[in-house]
Amino acid sequence: MSLKNIKTKIYSVKKTATVTRAMEAVSAVKMRKSQERALSGRAYAAAALSVLERLSATSEAGHHPLMFDLRGRTSRKAAIIVVTSDKGLAGSLNSAVIRATEHELSMRNLDKTGVKIIAIGRRGADYFAMRDFDVALRQENIGDVVSDNDMRAVTDQVLLWHAAGDISECHIAYTNFISTFEQKPAVRHIIPITPETMKEMVRGIRPAKGKYAPVEGEKEVHPAAYTIEPDTETVLAELLPKLVNVAVFHALLESKASEHSARMVAMKSATDKAKEMAGELTRIFNKTRQSAITREVSEITSGIEAMR
Amino acid sequence: MSANTFHIIIASVGETLFDGVALSATFPGSDGELTVLPHHEPLVTTLNGGTITVRTQSEEPREFPVRSGVLEFSGNTATVLL
Repeated sequence: MSLKNIKTKIYSVKKTATVTRAMEAVSAVKMRKSQERALSGRAYAAAALSVLERLSATSEAGHHPLMFDLRGRTSRKAAIIVVTSDKGLAGSLNSAVIRATEHELSMRNLDKTGVKIIAIGRRGADYFAMRDFDVALRQENIGDVVSDNDMRAVTDQVLLWHAAGDISECHIAYTNFISTFEQKPAVRHIIPITPETMKEMVRGIRPAKGKYAPVEGEKEVHPAAYTIEPDTETVLAELLPKLVNVAVFHALLESKASEHSARMVAMKSATDKAKEMAGELTRIFNKTRQSAITREVSEITSGIEAMR
Repeated sequence: MSANTFHIIIASVGETLFDGVALSATFPGSDGELTVLPHHEPLVTTLNGGTITVRTQSEEPREFPVRSGVLEFSGNTATVLL
């Protein structure tokens, strides 16, 4: 390689490192914000859960269609919400979610005909659309500030299908945020709603370690009886869709936090690698330059020798 | 928390709107307007559209518009899910 080529290459590698480093910094800030947001919504989910827990003790609760367990039914149609990111450069994040989704489908013996895919994020949408799945709803370009309305479209659609009998169950596949360096794909059951699935969800909202780790002994007292106005059915009809909404919302927040963390880590290793490469190239550059000089000097000296 | 106050949390899916101690609060309940005082009996009710008014010790009464929601009162804590 000529000296000029090496020089150009060093320059471009350094440029890449600058870009990846900037992306790392941006992801770090976004990561922190998404984590905080994921947490601020936790009070809501916990409160909704405690109401549900107490209501489910009453006799009518099990009869609400959203809580009705249809696992025994033979003809099942399911919806699965796949939460991925719109953009790549985030390590194995999206492929892990897609793999988890496919695993879930095969585990539940669901094939293409019985599944409606709701894709949040372009990666998952493209993947399943390409493989002839029924991608019934696509949501893309959801910003980092996830608003209530972003999920409304998804939740309303799921509830509509459920009410019409098009689906009997709904799952959500997303990335669970564990820590900055660890994100795990997770598949959760959201319809039918049971106190168990809700509990699992609330537990999953907080990271296990770090600043926002759960505090021990956070337990509420359960009163024996409630005055329910106007009646259990009305309250459940109001409450259960909210729970579905909150489940989708949290999956989305978790995925956002994971996406930014994964991207930050991926960009960090890209930056490190680029720096290493620049160092290596500089060494090659110096060596080449040195040998060129040596060659020239020896040419001159041998020329002088010949003239004598 | 003294005997004549209660804890109230008003939360929507994305954020907590209010989390603090109140003297009383008025809600647009499903069966008409409803004022909750400390140590109310355990209660769950749906909310109609209207305004939630929270009266605290120090500040002016705080008002929150509401479209629909669920109010839960138990253990001297009111939880409002919007």
